[in-house]
Amino acid sequence: MTKEATIVYLDYAATTPVDPRVVDVMTPLFRQDGDFGNPSSGHIVGRRAMEHVERATGQLAELLGCKESELVWTSGATESDNLAILGAARYRADRGRHLITMPTEHKAVSDVFQVLEKQGFEVSWLYPDHTGVLDPAELEAAIRADTQLVSIMHVNNETGVIQDIEALGSICRERDVLFHVDAAQSVGKLPLNLASMPVDLLSTTAHKVYGPKGVGALFVADRPGCHVEPLTFGGGQQNGRRPGTLAVPLIAGFGEAARIARSEMQENRAHLQSMRDRLWRGIRDMDGMLRNGSEDHSFPGILNVSIDDVEGESLLLALEPLCVATGSACNSKSQAPSSVLRALGRSDLLAQSAIRFSFGRPTATAEVDFAVARYREAVGRLRDIAPEPAP
Amino acid sequence: MTRDPYSARVRELFGAPDHAGDLEKPAARVQIIEQGVRVALAADIDGDIIVGLRFRAWGCPHLLAGAEAFCREFEGRPVSALQAFGAEEIMQTLPVPREKLGRILLLEDAVRSLGQRVRGSPDAGKDTN
Repeated sequence: MTKEATIVYLDYAATTPVDPRVVDVMTPLFRQDGDFGNPSSGHIVGRRAMEHVERATGQLAELLGCKESELVWTSGATESDNLAILGAARYRADRGRHLITMPTEHKAVSDVFQVLEKQGFEVSWLYPDHTGVLDPAELEAAIRADTQLVSIMHVNNETGVIQDIEALGSICRERDVLFHVDAAQSVGKLPLNLASMPVDLLSTTAHKVYGPKGVGALFVADRPGCHVEPLTFGGGQQNGRRPGTLAVPLIAGFGEAARIARSEMQENRAHLQSMRDRLWRGIRDMDGMLRNGSEDHSFPGILNVSIDDVEGESLLLALEPLCVATGSACNSKSQAPSSVLRALGRSDLLAQSAIRFSFGRPTATAEVDFAVARYREAVGRLRDIAPEPAP
Repeated sequence: MTRDPYSARVRELFGAPDHAGDLEKPAARVQIIEQGVRVALAADIDGDIIVGLRFRAWGCPHLLAGAEAFCREFEGRPVSALQAFGAEEIMQTLPVPREKLGRILLLEDAVRSLGQRVRGSPDAGKDTN
């Protein structure tokens, strides 16, 4: 049984621990007696470092089902999103300045679109239905002759809702509009085959899939009209698309994490679903309980719930030492209700009471049972303390 | 690193709200509902002494901790001491972030209303010893 003082981590959508096998691959690449070289150097130490980069590129390309030449290493999903959106919008600005996205996107996407709005681009913000799913017909209707880019995430980081990127991408492809997908939550967890999918740009990161923090990648499809203007300059690495000395240990770590994710994906997915369903069964009967986001189109690693008449910040503190999120971890300092949940039609109070549980490979049944007990106890305690609501 | 938004004092008060609940027959009871926050206070008095305080609250941890701190501090003190309660002291001693001043001001309003009702209650000023 889990002791009360023991931390129970159910926030794997925020980040994951690094797999020990990944650490083993990375560690020698920092040391004097390892392959610590600069992969841009022509000498043997540099060439050895480059071999690690090439191996990792191959591993990630296998996971994504794309060509190695279609991958650009970055510092993480935020940089990948920025490079994709700013880079593509600027590259195609002479053809048109209309862009499309959703208010339920991660801030690494939505904030970039707001920047572009200030720079004279016009952005259409498409709302999902009450389950968080975007109807492809909405996208079809929103695309105009001057639309150049659509950005829609694969798995929502707060609710776990999965968008039908095949259908959405097909619409973009038919209309010659670039389609960017923020796949930070899905790469390594859901099967992807970019060679056969209508996706032009795809952002990912290592630390959501048991790799190190500080490294990510952007997929840029090798097809006419698909290109990103660089955001940084100097050095010429990665064909100038993202210059700068490559972070060899981090890239090698991401490669190994991708290899592991690919080989263990099916087993891990079944485990996540089992943990999520167990937690939901444990709390679904509570008064005023609401599940946020579609049950039919959801990633099994995330469960987002709201509950009537419980204050969110107090709930989060009462849940300790259970580590969960009230919304996007990147946004957890904000007391404002989640814009994602507001877009699903939740009231401010329900959005503010939302808790995101997210599960990972190491999640144990006993931890889920602890979470169920803790959640029920915390909600009961806060309701006991509360005065009657206004009539 | 994200700084812990709660001091050890706030954590202790929030974690052990011994004064949360109701009094059986309070001399005075007030409830304020504003800005989505709810605070209820109840007092028992014996003569000029506050012999029992209880609170109920719906709001952030700082509000709940502030209500518990008030009850602990003022139980056993004279009714006249209620006038000395001020949001600023709670803000500094817990401490509470400035952006939450509005919620602690609601607690201050509730305490002042409670003081007025206690002074107006039939038990006020009676020496029952």
